[in-house]
Amino acid sequence: MGSTWSLLAPLKGLGEDVHLLGGEPHAASTAGTFPEESREDISAAETAGLGFHSCSYLKLFVGEVVRDKIAITDRTIKEGYPKPDLIWTTHLCSQHSKWYQEVSRRLGGIPMYAIDMIGGGNAEKDPKIVKYACDQIEEGIRWLERVTGRDFSDELFIKAARNEIKVLVLWGNICALNRHAPAPLDERRLIALFPPAMVDRTTDETVRLYEALLKEVRYMVETGQSVVPDQRFRIVYFGIAHTYGHPEIARILRDAGAEIVASVYTFGTCGNFRGFENGKWSWDPLDPAWADELDLSTRRDAISALVKIALGWPTWQGVRSYWALEQMARAMVTEYKADGLLLAPSRSCETDFRNGYIAMQRIFKNQIPTVEYDTDQVDVRKMDLPGSQRKTELFVHLMEAHKKGGA
Amino acid sequence: MNNDNILAGLDVGHVNTKAMIMRGQEILGYGTVRTGFDVVAAAQTALNHALDNVGISGGELAGIVTTGIFRDMIKVPSLDVTGTEPEYVADAKGALFLNKNSRTVIDVGGNTHKAIRYDQNGNLLDVIQNDKCADGLGIFYTTIAKAVGLSEQEMSELALKSTKDVSIAIQCVLSAEAEAIDLMCQGIDIADVANAISRFIVERVAAMCTYMSLTKEIVVAGGLAKSQAVIRHLPSLIKQDVSVLDLPEYVGAIGAVISYGGGK
Amino acid sequence: MTKKGSNAIIEHFRHTTENTHEYAKSLQGKGQLLAGYMCTHVPEEILYAAGIIPVRILSSHVSQAMTRSYIHETYCSFSHDCAYQGLQHNYDYLDLIVTSSSCLHMSEAFNVWVRFAGFEQKSFLIPYPHIIQTKPAAAFMEESFGEFKQFVEELSKKSITDDDLERAIKVYNHNRRLLKRLWEFLRRDNPPITGPEVATVTLASQVMDKQECNQMLEQLIQRLEAESGKAPPGVRLMVTGGACDDLGIFDLIEHLNYTTNLIFIDSCTAARYFWFEVSEDRPDKLEAIAEGYIGRIPCPAKDNVPGTGEKKRFRFIQQFIEDFKPDGVVFLYQRFCSPQPMDIVALKPILDKLGIPSTELELDTTLPIIQFRTQLEALVEIIKGVTP
Repeated sequence: MGSTWSLLAPLKGLGEDVHLLGGEPHAASTAGTFPEESREDISAAETAGLGFHSCSYLKLFVGEVVRDKIAITDRTIKEGYPKPDLIWTTHLCSQHSKWYQEVSRRLGGIPMYAIDMIGGGNAEKDPKIVKYACDQIEEGIRWLERVTGRDFSDELFIKAARNEIKVLVLWGNICALNRHAPAPLDERRLIALFPPAMVDRTTDETVRLYEALLKEVRYMVETGQSVVPDQRFRIVYFGIAHTYGHPEIARILRDAGAEIVASVYTFGTCGNFRGFENGKWSWDPLDPAWADELDLSTRRDAISALVKIALGWPTWQGVRSYWALEQMARAMVTEYKADGLLLAPSRSCETDFRNGYIAMQRIFKNQIPTVEYDTDQVDVRKMDLPGSQRKTELFVHLMEAHKKGGA
Repeated sequence: MNNDNILAGLDVGHVNTKAMIMRGQEILGYGTVRTGFDVVAAAQTALNHALDNVGISGGELAGIVTTGIFRDMIKVPSLDVTGTEPEYVADAKGALFLNKNSRTVIDVGGNTHKAIRYDQNGNLLDVIQNDKCADGLGIFYTTIAKAVGLSEQEMSELALKSTKDVSIAIQCVLSAEAEAIDLMCQGIDIADVANAISRFIVERVAAMCTYMSLTKEIVVAGGLAKSQAVIRHLPSLIKQDVSVLDLPEYVGAIGAVISYGGGK
Repeated sequence: MTKKGSNAIIEHFRHTTENTHEYAKSLQGKGQLLAGYMCTHVPEEILYAAGIIPVRILSSHVSQAMTRSYIHETYCSFSHDCAYQGLQHNYDYLDLIVTSSSCLHMSEAFNVWVRFAGFEQKSFLIPYPHIIQTKPAAAFMEESFGEFKQFVEELSKKSITDDDLERAIKVYNHNRRLLKRLWEFLRRDNPPITGPEVATVTLASQVMDKQECNQMLEQLIQRLEAESGKAPPGVRLMVTGGACDDLGIFDLIEHLNYTTNLIFIDSCTAARYFWFEVSEDRPDKLEAIAEGYIGRIPCPAKDNVPGTGEKKRFRFIQQFIEDFKPDGVVFLYQRFCSPQPMDIVALKPILDKLGIPSTELELDTTLPIIQFRTQLEALVEIIKGVTP
């Protein structure tokens, strides 16, 4: 169990019977599948003492532990929260690994290991940050052996590591294809298609899935196809995919032929790109063949490659560096030929996914139609849906006016 | 539509519903009622008040145009609505009608506030609206006034008598209300508290305005624009001069009429 | 400095907390370079070794809403206030603003200064572990501190030698020991100094030249050791939580309708600031500083022992409870703080087991004195078993 912003491959070194429960995807899918249960979970966490303004993913997850129930994506709610053998996670914000401290405590003290990835712009190029993360993972692997009593298999780990890197590169390639007009995929498809990369990107199956998907999307581009052919407006979206209200917002946009063709969260939480070169961000994809050719001869090689690729995620970069987020936004607006920038900071999230988006208005408002609406990952109370719908209508209006030479 | 046509504009907001009757460039009459829970009834009542003030019947209207947050909810047979306009479009048109030199209107309403930039024809250039935490400033003002047993007008007059700046926790209207009461219990002069509240409100508006370039001339509309105690802080906060429009709460209703060919 | 009664010395400290800009500018007037810092994870010794006086950025407690368009509403008021002061150019006289990557709210306040308040060319962000107990944390910090030292040398145009660092370490350690001695007075039933006064002195020390501060502390402690108790013993209350530079709340705790004594404050504006030492006379000074800072009472944002998920801060809190013997605990934290409440949910059961009642107060720009008074008196009544 743990955050899927962690490196997952080390866990696979423990054997082929390791199953992952990722905090963020679990919370998101629970909220999307069981909205009523989710509200109960969040309330239960708050009654148990967690703050109203705490991360709602965290509260939903802890709430399930409090209620001793868990939602499964086969659309059932199981009584009895399953006790994990261990927690392997990371610490991307000030409360992130504290999420799992709370879960561990409530379940009687589950062994947990949180890796401090540091993050930030150009982090993967900073040798001391890379070394720091690698050293922790080396230590973490020794801990995994002690706490499970298993021997760590470098063979399984290295295989999983290569798969993990490959999937991240493949997803980046798929997202980069949306630079074409019409963009082959819309945000709805992107959100539907990235969970395997979030949930478990270490398996051969996941690699095959994204290789097939890349092939298909390339074909769509070659033949001029799109899942939404009528794309009058191309939108860049900086927001977390919120389960509540997102379809409503998408509907308003769809009716106007406005499509989100690029999104930092969907692209950057499990996808890699060329990143910073000479101070400017590039959303150019990496060559998948590069992942195949990586020298992962030793455990340290694999750890190092994994750490660099994770630190290279747009989201790991942007979450702690306002300037990285700004550069990414500028590049995304240009490369994806945006007609508008839609910002949806999440009220529960204290990272730059909330704060950085506020500053985006200041940068882009005088350049292209830019509108911000407040939302939340999974807490419906924090989303003002009517207000957000009105703002989205305004956004469409501004894009129309801009097209006519006004706004 | 020719100059003889009499048009009505209805601006149905969270707090108040405003009706405006115009013939060409002439404002004939207007009326305001609390919106309450029955939006259609509020719209009908506001319209009737305006019609009574003018001395005409509804049958003499050539059309009714609606705007405001509930504009789509009053498209009922009894009202025979001709058309609707989003509030930001109506605000721009209405502000331009009332001040031909204006190019930005800051609308401070009961629940939402926005800044709208437009060109010489009233066409939208850019709009910014408040975020969720800044909702309800006008409602808050009314609530605080009631809490201290005053009308909004009295509260505003009291705030103008303030002699000292006091600080008030301002994360949101809820905490500000609790803080205001706390300060009064501590014996702080109510005029100073009223001024702190007024300043809090306009600071939220001003903070929003910093996102967008505001083109001169800048005018202010909305119900809260009538409060000098609130608006007097605005110029120093946005570092630009502003002027309050005549009939500031009717700007939207006027704009709705203009949008449908009125005002000529 | 002439000998003064303890009250006069305490007043001097209080005056400093109420006039931080005046004090800082007086240092500048003497030719000192000044570096503002926003988080206590900044290794002040490195600045001090270069002859730069570190000055903590504190709140002005003036309500404003302008920062809502720079930092989200749901960030703590401390971060908003610090950001606002930057935007208002209240600290333009500083030669440098520095922070260590810490909690996100204060990081954003720092970002505002860098991006929008003109500090881009005179700022430094020290990469710092987000989990302080990781095995390689010290090595990482040492390297990071090395980069910071280089930056400071360029800024001050002088080389920082090992002797300079050792001198700074000793000055700072001396300050920490003196502050500790001051807080130790509060163990007594009838101390010669009150909790709010100790809090005032501690806060002042965070904006003062440490040598000057040490001289005043020495005098103060000397006087106090000769003085008798100041206030009758009452209900002993301990505060634990986050940054709080509003001394009014501490005054309030000792001015309820019951006799109460504020006996300890576990926060980064109080004990967590100084309750550690850096090893002296070590050959590798940066390593010593790194290890010293790791040994601090952890900030909740950084507290997660790998392997067990333990919150090491709780060990300290339990030790403080044992040493200072509070009758009740006040959780005091900024509204919207994210890591503090996560600690509170785990700390409360421990206090319950120890039979220590508690209450929670959320801080904002200003203090709702009446509301807080009600809550605090309710806590005291629970402790005293007051029946209606």
